[in-house]
Amino acid sequence: MSPTQWNWLTIGLVALLVAGAVYFIYPVSKSTKLGLDLQGGIHVVLQAVGTAKSPVTPEAMDRAENVIRGRVDRLGVAEPQIERQGEDHFLVQLPGIRNPEEALEIIGQTALLEFAIVEKNYEGLGDEELNEAKRQGEKVAGPTLLTGDALSDAFVSFDPTTGAPIVNFKLKRTGSKTFGDITTKNVNKRLAIILDQNIISAPTIRSPITGGEGIIEGIESLEEAKKVTLVLQTGALPFSLDIVQNQTVGPTLGRDSLVEGLRAVVLGLIFVAIYLLVVYRVFAVLAWISLGVFGVLLWGLMTVMGVTLTLPGIAGTILMIGIAADSSIIIYERIKDEIRAGKTMRTALETGFNHGFQTFLDADLVSFVTALILFYFGVGTVKGFAFVLMLGIACDLFTAFFFKRSALALMGRVAFFRKPWMIGLRARPQEAA
Amino acid sequence: MRRFEFMANWRIWFALSGVVLAVAIGALFVNGLRYGIEFTGGTLMEIRAPKAVSVGEVRDALRTVDAEKGRGALIQPAGNRTILIRTTSLEPAEQARFIKVLKDELGAERRAIESVGAAWGRQITQAAVQALVLSILALLVYISLRFEFKMAACAIVALAHDILISIGIYALVGREVTPATVAAFLTILGYSLYDTIVVFHRILENSSKLVKLTYSQMANESVNQVLARSINTSAATLLPVGAILFLGGETLKDFAFALFVGISSGAFSSIFTASPLLALWKEREPKYTALRRRAQKAAASSAG
Repeated sequence: MSPTQWNWLTIGLVALLVAGAVYFIYPVSKSTKLGLDLQGGIHVVLQAVGTAKSPVTPEAMDRAENVIRGRVDRLGVAEPQIERQGEDHFLVQLPGIRNPEEALEIIGQTALLEFAIVEKNYEGLGDEELNEAKRQGEKVAGPTLLTGDALSDAFVSFDPTTGAPIVNFKLKRTGSKTFGDITTKNVNKRLAIILDQNIISAPTIRSPITGGEGIIEGIESLEEAKKVTLVLQTGALPFSLDIVQNQTVGPTLGRDSLVEGLRAVVLGLIFVAIYLLVVYRVFAVLAWISLGVFGVLLWGLMTVMGVTLTLPGIAGTILMIGIAADSSIIIYERIKDEIRAGKTMRTALETGFNHGFQTFLDADLVSFVTALILFYFGVGTVKGFAFVLMLGIACDLFTAFFFKRSALALMGRVAFFRKPWMIGLRARPQEAA
Repeated sequence: MRRFEFMANWRIWFALSGVVLAVAIGALFVNGLRYGIEFTGGTLMEIRAPKAVSVGEVRDALRTVDAEKGRGALIQPAGNRTILIRTTSLEPAEQARFIKVLKDELGAERRAIESVGAAWGRQITQAAVQALVLSILALLVYISLRFEFKMAACAIVALAHDILISIGIYALVGREVTPATVAAFLTILGYSLYDTIVVFHRILENSSKLVKLTYSQMANESVNQVLARSINTSAATLLPVGAILFLGGETLKDFAFALFVGISSGAFSSIFTASPLLALWKEREPKYTALRRRAQKAAASSAG
């Protein structure tokens, strides 16, 4: 294959890739995932806090992850993201959620439901008084006889006479039997229903309950009843979860950031384009096209790999514009050097590329090493940022080698481009000679 | 093309760097850095009221919820209708109470809430420092292998120079250090090295001329050769960053500010710090000392 054929081939290949990238990118609203900082939502990091009885083990973490997933699904979030971080952290991201405070409470709730019999001395107390006594550290109820694990379902209904919300629960077969035994043995005693160390209600057992169904009364509001139902349906967490970090971004702030970020990208591109035109004249057009190819390839790659666009990501992209422009600048300055050294324009276009390419290959590799380490050891934003940087460097090198090199070589064959002033040189030494 | 004396005037450049570094380090000691809640732990709420509100009004609105737990709410206006409220770390339920009070009393809309536990802040700071140290070590090894150890060391000195100046200027103007700032510093790290490598690459390429020229002369010629590229690249990089800094919105400004300072410093240090340092160091090698003596003698005899 002749060099010219090869050059056309690589340009054709790049054109195909660009078309492919555009195919993946279009339509933008569907393909490009926006981070929480750009579309609003919550981001929360939870830390598992185990006890001697229920330590934080990998198995317990698996169970907890399933519970969290179940709760998030029931909250009705479009694209939730639940991730394990390290040995005992969870990262939960819920984009576009309407009631972030409530969601946080639901996700982090241990939801340990316990049934126990109220001790004799305390039988005369009301529900509130019982709770107060329990908080004081008094032993108001006996050992836990049954836990929420025995539940098979829960739903909300209303008390037909008072209209107050009630949580109904159904028990699994074994749980149903245990519950029947407990209620048979303890008729006329009070059954404390405890959720996360808090006595919700303590009704008196009038007769044995063997049907495997029961109700929880004494719930303040419908909202509260719905919350309790949701956490009972999804089961208890094997340990408690501490919220170590949470971030809520309102939808308007997200939109503002997106608009501002995009405006900065567009302005940056326009400024760079004008600067390149002033310095490199006709050859600036090739630099523009290269920047465009670079941008579309990077965007396409991010789409295919499912990278979420965040604010630091946009900022990283703006920096990549500079670095991508630099690969053109290094080559053009090198070409000018070669012309000044007396080479013909046609030779200079090829040797200039080759020398320039080696320079920014080294420089890019150094940046890549940095990005790689940041990616491995960084957390959160830093990680995403480093990833975009690595993709950007790869796209920059690819565009330079398969597009710019071929385009320059082909331009060298056309007499129209073989005038040094076209690349911004004032003197024309070899033409004068 | 005009030649500039970069190596011979190294005392001027080093003095200039020294002054800026002294100011930067001084600011670090006197002002210190203002860390965001991501590092210290705490809750930051951003609200927007339907009309202009004063700090006093917000304080009054918060009096009940804040006083009860002694959250030490710090209220700070950010623009006309936007208010930032900082407190110690709040539980979700407490956050909800703050937001509800602000909505009821001022009709304010929640723009953003961020809450970080103190331990988490320490963890991510540790991770960032670890990443920084490891990347510097790896780069030292990589550049030593690909180029040479002295170049690696000089590149790292230039890098330290740029990072110190960036951090120092942060302390000087009192901007808050956020995770975006850390990302910016890491970018500066990458850019500073990138720029230095471009210059060193040319120095390495020109090493064959070390018969006629002394190391300093050769380095000076190399820097002159890449000068046009350095100026153009700095412009091409600073233009978009400047666009964010001067025309972009509030949210990206911190990032752009750090980048603007760092990139300017990075472009300066490759030419005025890393290269003269390398030349001075290399000329201490017997081979290049001899070369310089010969050149000086030749100059003296031709003059005499």
